[in-house]
Amino acid sequence: MWIYDKKLQYPVNIKNPNPALAKLIISQFGGPDGELGASMRYLSQRYTMPYKEVIGILTDVGTEELAHMEMVCAIVYQLTKNLSMEEIKESGFDAYFVDHTTGLYPVAASGVPWNANTFQSTGDAIADITEDLAADATTAKEQPTYLRG
Amino acid sequence: MDKRNALLKRIMQADFSMHEAALFLDSHPKNKAAMNFYRKMQAKREELAAEYRRDFGPLTYYEVKSTDWNWIDTPWPWQN
Repeated sequence: MWIYDKKLQYPVNIKNPNPALAKLIISQFGGPDGELGASMRYLSQRYTMPYKEVIGILTDVGTEELAHMEMVCAIVYQLTKNLSMEEIKESGFDAYFVDHTTGLYPVAASGVPWNANTFQSTGDAIADITEDLAADATTAKEQPTYLRG
Repeated sequence: MDKRNALLKRIMQADFSMHEAALFLDSHPKNKAAMNFYRKMQAKREELAAEYRRDFGPLTYYEVKSTDWNWIDTPWPWQN
């Protein structure tokens, strides 16, 4: 089972709100390569793993992904604080705002809601670990994507 | 039931009591009876968890005290 620790894994202190950036960062919460999917992937796959070492890693990484999700949500929350209606319209954050205001909703930057179709759990150790490698490689893709954005 | 499972069940009972009391206290933070109940279960939980750690190993990896990594050696909770 799980318990909640009242702290972030790493502090988030954003001084300047930026709703245009929040529109992109939220994909790291509910997008196809986001933290919610990552956590569900590892925590779903671990049951049928035949080795205690792999079960341990999937349990502890899957738990850590939840901590990542909390940091991403803290970033989006702080990026969208104290916005004027003008800022919301001009930034393009209005399409998200009309449905969710500044509530945190797991969604991709494109607007597609989070979906379990973004990962697989096959019951086959090699297939699952290979999928995990592919999923982990998306981290290398995401970081330069956000920097360019 | 072996000693490990019996002790684990008592920890589960204390945890469940603490959890339900916490849910109630979240919306009734001034309730003295609930607070007293929470603290009673908390003391029980600490005592039981210490006994479990000593005899059967860690419940979380923060509790690993041995010089070798025994976190992965005890059974996972879904393995019966």
